[in-house]
Amino acid sequence: MREEKTILEVKDLRVNFHTYRGEVKALNGVDLKLYKREILGLVGESGCGKSVTALTVLGLLPDNAHIIGGEILFKKEDLLKKSREDKRILRANELATVFQDPLTYLNPVLKIETQLMEVFMLNEKLLKQAAIAKKTHSKNVTFDDLLSWKKELANESSDIKVSKAEIKNMAKHLCIDLLKLVKLPDPERILREYPFELSGGMRQRIMIAMALARRPSIFIADEITTAVDVTIQAQILHLMRELRDKIDASTIMVTHDLSVAAEIADRIAVMYGGNVVEAAPTVDIFRNPLHPYTTMLMRSIPNVKKPVETLKSIPGTVPEMINPPSGCRFHPRCPFAMDKCRKKRPKLIKAVEKHEVACYLIGG
Amino acid sequence: MEDLLTVKDLKTWFPIKSGVIQRTVGHVKAVDGISFTVHKGETFGLVGESGSGKTTVARTILRLIEPTKGEIYFDGINVTKAKGRKLRKLRRRMQIIFQDPYASLDPRQTVNSMLIEAMKVHGITQSRSEAHEKALKLLNKVGLSEEHLYRFPHEFSGGQRQRIAVARALTVNPDFLILDEPTSFLDVSVQASVLNLLKDLQKDFNLTYLFISHNLAVVHHMSNRVAVMYLGKFVEVADKDIIYNSPKHPYTYHLMAAIPVPDPEFQKEEVLLTGDVPSPVDIPPGCRFHPRCPYATDKCKSKEPLLTEKDGHWVACHYDVDFKSGEIRT
Repeated sequence: MREEKTILEVKDLRVNFHTYRGEVKALNGVDLKLYKREILGLVGESGCGKSVTALTVLGLLPDNAHIIGGEILFKKEDLLKKSREDKRILRANELATVFQDPLTYLNPVLKIETQLMEVFMLNEKLLKQAAIAKKTHSKNVTFDDLLSWKKELANESSDIKVSKAEIKNMAKHLCIDLLKLVKLPDPERILREYPFELSGGMRQRIMIAMALARRPSIFIADEITTAVDVTIQAQILHLMRELRDKIDASTIMVTHDLSVAAEIADRIAVMYGGNVVEAAPTVDIFRNPLHPYTTMLMRSIPNVKKPVETLKSIPGTVPEMINPPSGCRFHPRCPFAMDKCRKKRPKLIKAVEKHEVACYLIGG
Repeated sequence: MEDLLTVKDLKTWFPIKSGVIQRTVGHVKAVDGISFTVHKGETFGLVGESGSGKTTVARTILRLIEPTKGEIYFDGINVTKAKGRKLRKLRRRMQIIFQDPYASLDPRQTVNSMLIEAMKVHGITQSRSEAHEKALKLLNKVGLSEEHLYRFPHEFSGGQRQRIAVARALTVNPDFLILDEPTSFLDVSVQASVLNLLKDLQKDFNLTYLFISHNLAVVHHMSNRVAVMYLGKFVEVADKDIIYNSPKHPYTYHLMAAIPVPDPEFQKEEVLLTGDVPSPVDIPPGCRFHPRCPYATDKCKSKEPLLTEKDGHWVACHYDVDFKSGEIRT
């Protein structure tokens, strides 16, 4: 893990959804911290609230969702208190996302070039600076340079005139540079193509490139390897690891696959039934899982490197969120459930150094 | 070991029609010449990336899709030539579990009528009460109880639905079950229980499985022998331990290296495959893996390697590559 500076903190977040069948209690007090420059794996089964958590941070919840309580602190400000427009600007500059299915998020009737250029053109000031730098130093400005400029603009004298065409050229040049960064072969050709002409893995890389173009401080990747094949998954995970060293961003990697999280995350937060039940550095959580759910989940997945005759399954099913179980939402499936567990939800507490868990078996 | 299923040079091509008179302008070569045998009592795993033709193989074996070429023998009977009553008899012995338990169960039928219907069609039981008894017995076997018998599919969770689909397949006393991605719709915590159930049932009912999945860890857990499919052809077939630990084909090697391991302390070699699977309409000449293969030579571009056997280990590669040193032997 890198520096232990918290960049994002989610505190006791509660979100409900109105549906015709009743109130879906999707998030039931989520506590989550994201440290600077780390990759956090947010792991859980379907319906555990991992995507809802990500969407709430982004301010992209659908209309039938209601935030009941809690706060999301980013740069000492509560994101939940921000206006719609402020959130939009935040999404443009600070919080970038890549979703599971790139075909849904790319515009099918626009060329990749148009879509990617648009992202750069939003920040014309920066492009202008880049063009000026190119003119004055007669050097090629790369995307890496933009990253090192951070959010402040380079203080070049702005009396040098730059034409619209030069700005556009700069944007295109940066697009190509960016596509190279995400390891896309033949970027000039790809810019001329439409999304349908690309394969799933390539589209996913375009989405990653688009997210990077804004130079975000938080990068949210929601199940980005779920829709692709295992060899492509390996490529994308490899790319993510490489990019982490290049860009100055913290990543939340939402996934249902513990193995994927094990491969890429510095820290893992396990969610169950709308709560974070355990959070710890990846090695610690695999070596010494503390929550019964985490322990059982790890025994239920087959490992090619350590084959077993029978897998240990978790009895019962994922809880229904309209009438969720009382107290700890895992208690109906937990072999260690006590009376206390049925009554009151355990809080997420620090059990060991850097290792947090929400279970009465461990303190609390 | 006795063979239960033998597939010989099976091809399933789908025509691409175009123009006003719907002329065939090409073919999607989903399955393009595969041969294999499945022994009685074993689980034969079939892995491959999406679009490699795994599901088409399954459906062609059951004659849900007509093969373009080739022969399929089930217990000595030619499936490809079977018709009418003979085919129906065969179908009783070969059952399939589909991927999506939300689509494979009739939403307007109770579990009871679903289970009894199949028995009625195939004349398995003599009376209604006998059928009812058997349905109940099977339902218990898959971990559900009598109270579930008169419910509709929407009242069940994904895992329970898949159990019902398994029970339904077993009502007709099959010998052979095709499991086409049986757990990919299920949650991880539920997946384990279904896999365990399938393993138990195999012992209790002497079943032979053809297990299809893109999840390599799951196939490893379930199978005795594994075939690796790439663009409609097998590239390697062998015992699972050989396939997973000492593969010979470059594709298998890269595929195995790409499996994410749920252990952060496991030191993995970083070997990445470049590019994507090509389209099955426009299959590369020579070895179909050559555009992505880091060891490809000129020979691979022109001549297609045949699947050849050595000690029960089938490989389709011109060379014998030592993946550690990168040395290529012929």
